[in-house]
Amino acid sequence: MTGKGVKMKYKDYYKLMGLQRTATEAEIKTAHRKLARKYHPDLNKDAKAESQFKEIGEAYQVLKDPEKRAAYDRLGAGLKDGDEFRSPPDFNEGFEYEGAGSEQDANDFFEGLFGNRHRRSQTHARARDWPGEDHHAKVSIPLKDAYTGAQRTFTLQMPSMDAQGRVTYKSRTLDVSIPKGILDGQRLRLAGQGAAGIGQGPAGDLYLEIAFEQQSRFRVEGRDVTLDLPVAPWEAALGAEVLVPTPDGSVTMTVPAGSAAGKRLRLKGRGIPGKPPGDLYVTLAIALPIADTDAKKAAYEALRQAFKFDPRAHFYG
Amino acid sequence: MREIGSVYLQGEIVEEHLEFTLVELCRATGATEEQLSVWVEEGAFEPRGAGPHDWRFSGASLRRALTAQRLTRDLELNGPAVAVVLDLLDRIDALRARLAQHGFEE
Repeated sequence: MTGKGVKMKYKDYYKLMGLQRTATEAEIKTAHRKLARKYHPDLNKDAKAESQFKEIGEAYQVLKDPEKRAAYDRLGAGLKDGDEFRSPPDFNEGFEYEGAGSEQDANDFFEGLFGNRHRRSQTHARARDWPGEDHHAKVSIPLKDAYTGAQRTFTLQMPSMDAQGRVTYKSRTLDVSIPKGILDGQRLRLAGQGAAGIGQGPAGDLYLEIAFEQQSRFRVEGRDVTLDLPVAPWEAALGAEVLVPTPDGSVTMTVPAGSAAGKRLRLKGRGIPGKPPGDLYVTLAIALPIADTDAKKAAYEALRQAFKFDPRAHFYG
Repeated sequence: MREIGSVYLQGEIVEEHLEFTLVELCRATGATEEQLSVWVEEGAFEPRGAGPHDWRFSGASLRRALTAQRLTRDLELNGPAVAVVLDLLDRIDALRARLAQHGFEE
């Protein structure tokens, strides 16, 4: 971990933070504040925000510290972002680095140069018995699992402390019953599945944050689920019995005669189960068949003759 | 009912079935008792019970307290600032939900 001539890709921390290499300490601090607010995963829901936030934190760890910054500057003279290089074997000799983060990234560049920044954050060495830490992890499940309940196997990267007090990540598989009715963003507590206790202390708990897998067909809001359903013009005009897909099989629904495009129909209790269960909302989208044969063109022509319909009658007044 | 050899862990849904004491919520989030007490004083959390020893936080507090703890740690926000941010995030969530109802993603 002390960078004994390790081959790696150079990362330009100045460029990452939008700074000149001559930036003052105050400028570095300000840039970090602005970027940390912008990309903080609790404030920015973009999927990439979290990794950007971590990179910025890593860059700041180096640039805010005059000794680390000097070492980094010596190393980086003449290198561009992404250049391959081999770190000098004595690169961080004589420095002692205190890590501050508890982030779960293992970054080759940073760790190659500055060692593993994860340190034992709390030392309970003198306590004979101490409860183990609670752990958190995030998993994705299909929407269907919330309808039916399911049994799933997840592979998680769990932190564990080695003898030197460094955090390493071990993968661990976990068989979990997903309870029917669970919602996106809720957490499942698995008692005793966190870190082991010290001495006679009990093990911590594991909190699994549940996210629904992205799917194009259904939109979920709490327990209510919405679906856009294509219908033919005659189904909307004359009424029809149609088969509606739900996350848990199909159901038959009546489209009332005279339905307009965008009409929302409710299938009560067909949302995510619960007390009370959610509803399934079906939004009608009218699909127009293409007139690509003479017979089909004649059919549209007959419509025109029969209706004398002006869709823009009240449009310009 | 289960197949032999396969034991699936049964969890509890935090938001529906659980409440936390002050000590439990601190352990689950990494926040200190002092921090949580300040957030309660600011009205950002409303536990049942008369004083810190009797406090019972709702299951939904876990998510909120994790956010509060990260904001404090990463942006060095003080108690009142954390309370403002949590309120604003709630409002953003509500607006986002209304957008989603109308079929708009952000």
